[in-house]
Amino acid sequence: MLKRIIHFSTLKISKTLCTSSQLSNSLENRTNDLTPSTLEPTEPESKSVLEPLNEDISHVTTYLKPTYNIAAYANRSETIQEFIKLGVDLNHIERKVSNAVPFILRLHFEEVKKHLLFFTNVGINIDDVAHLITKNPFILKESLEDLDVRINYLKFKRFTDESIARIITKNPFWLSYSTQDIDTKLGFFQATFELSGPQVRQIADQAPRLITHNQEKVKLNVFVLKEEMGFSKYDIQNIILKKPKILMSEQKKLLKTFEYLHKVIGLSHQQILECPQILTCRENRLKERHQFLVKMKRDQFNPKEPNFVNVITMVSGTDSEFSTEVAKSSVEEYNLFLKTL
Amino acid sequence: MLVQEAPIVWNSLKGLICVYKPAEVSVHKMRKILISKICQEMNSLEGRPPSDYVAIEGDPSQKLTVSVRPNFADHPLVVGPRYQNQDLHVSWSNFLGFYTNGVLLFGIRDGTRQAKFIRENRPTRAYRIKGKLGEVTDNCFKTGKVVMKSTWRHVKQEHMDRFLSAMQASHQKKMFEMCGVDIQSQTAYELAIQGPIRPANSKIPIIYGIKCIEFQPPEFTVEIQCINEYEDYLTHIIHEIGQKLHSTAHCTGIQCIRHSRFTLEHALLMKHWTLTNLLKNMDVCSKILVESGENLPRKSSRLV
Repeated sequence: MLKRIIHFSTLKISKTLCTSSQLSNSLENRTNDLTPSTLEPTEPESKSVLEPLNEDISHVTTYLKPTYNIAAYANRSETIQEFIKLGVDLNHIERKVSNAVPFILRLHFEEVKKHLLFFTNVGINIDDVAHLITKNPFILKESLEDLDVRINYLKFKRFTDESIARIITKNPFWLSYSTQDIDTKLGFFQATFELSGPQVRQIADQAPRLITHNQEKVKLNVFVLKEEMGFSKYDIQNIILKKPKILMSEQKKLLKTFEYLHKVIGLSHQQILECPQILTCRENRLKERHQFLVKMKRDQFNPKEPNFVNVITMVSGTDSEFSTEVAKSSVEEYNLFLKTL
Repeated sequence: MLVQEAPIVWNSLKGLICVYKPAEVSVHKMRKILISKICQEMNSLEGRPPSDYVAIEGDPSQKLTVSVRPNFADHPLVVGPRYQNQDLHVSWSNFLGFYTNGVLLFGIRDGTRQAKFIRENRPTRAYRIKGKLGEVTDNCFKTGKVVMKSTWRHVKQEHMDRFLSAMQASHQKKMFEMCGVDIQSQTAYELAIQGPIRPANSKIPIIYGIKCIEFQPPEFTVEIQCINEYEDYLTHIIHEIGQKLHSTAHCTGIQCIRHSRFTLEHALLMKHWTLTNLLKNMDVCSKILVESGENLPRKSSRLV
């Protein structure tokens, strides 16, 4: 009977060894050190449970209990420690992509290393790699061959090496899309706005996030530009070549800014087309500065008359620059004015 | 120049601040912006270093080694930034509506106590309300839909002044009446010398002073001293003024120019919200608080 009990308990130990080794990296290293013979129950007949134990069993530990925070694993997992040294914001991952945490815990750093090398070979800064993993940790799930194919696709489409690096750093999700997806997305922009090859490349380089942005929202913004604002097809093409980010802005805000520019300030469509970046300006900022100019009687937006004020110079620059150079007044006066709004 | 150690700054960051609220930004939004701005700046300062991790390693049957190494579990990249938005307690002492602009008091951390005292002391507030004669909107504010139009050229400033002074007198008389004292009596005098008579319920708005400070028809501006008011009440006053003057009116802007002794000149614009400015503002506010005695709960004269 005693023999059976001893045999059972040793079996149990070896079982916990196996399962816990799957859990933690550090534990696995230790089990690797052990020779196979130690794993097997050694001479259970000669030993009694009451005899003092000489061998080291400190590696036999319980599982980590369920935790609320990745910090519980930080001192045990080599991957997490390496990620911290790299500068990956694990807290961000935990808050925003919570399903990535179990995935990261199962990773072996040796495999991750290959990915990191791949990204640096593409020409991305090591700081940007950390940012890339922070934003899109599941990129480590993609196989290296797939990533290579996706990079080759961009090269085939005659993107330069710098623009490829820029695209991947600015849009961490780009490489998670298959080549077919990216191809249809690029094709969508080419077809909708009737762009040439270099123009598509220019947009992808200027605003890499736009390409993978939700296409329904892009279509909605095109509708806003075309039907609600009244720009022609050719105008829209001009706008997105100069400022592709407009297509990613929120449709209500975009319309409000346009309405203020067109109805209150009185800019024509042609004037807005000359500097489409004005459409990305917040309505509040536009309102504050325009109303101050009205108060100072300097709201003259006709380029053919004296004392012309350019809208771009009006909204860009700090408040002190604006109040002294554009409004020909002082910051104190502008601040006092802001306290009446 | 600000101290670079974050814990020192954090310890001094308690008190009341006076900020300027622009129209069409809610108080909730302002609070959120304030908290995130403070936390962002606190995190850019020198934070607390990670605590040490004491590791006891080795074979327990032989000698164990004790080593101290940096604790990865306490690294800002793992547990998040040292100062997080939910750690900062901020509350307001006067609520301003969405379309109201003006002086707003925020209590930060221990300052929330002072903010509470000010709220419960119910000091008077002064408002400057702009109105426009001739149109009525469905919500009595300029954002609403116009539902009625009328003539306004017959309205003169003396009509306005006469009505407003009658309104002020009726409000004051009503307070004494509701107290149940004869206005010619000694008790009424004793009640009056304790300061403005406040209603027992903090839901009843009372006007202590109202006058027209600008009259350029159809536009006019009214200055009001009152307590327990709210945005709808103020817009409806303008509506009432319009009706009583045999015309119509709607409100075009509400500005809180004074709350207790805090005025527009103390108010900090949103673009100036940096730690240095906030700490300076806190100093100014604490001085005003001590001067006005609002930092302590006060027993006010009220209806019994």
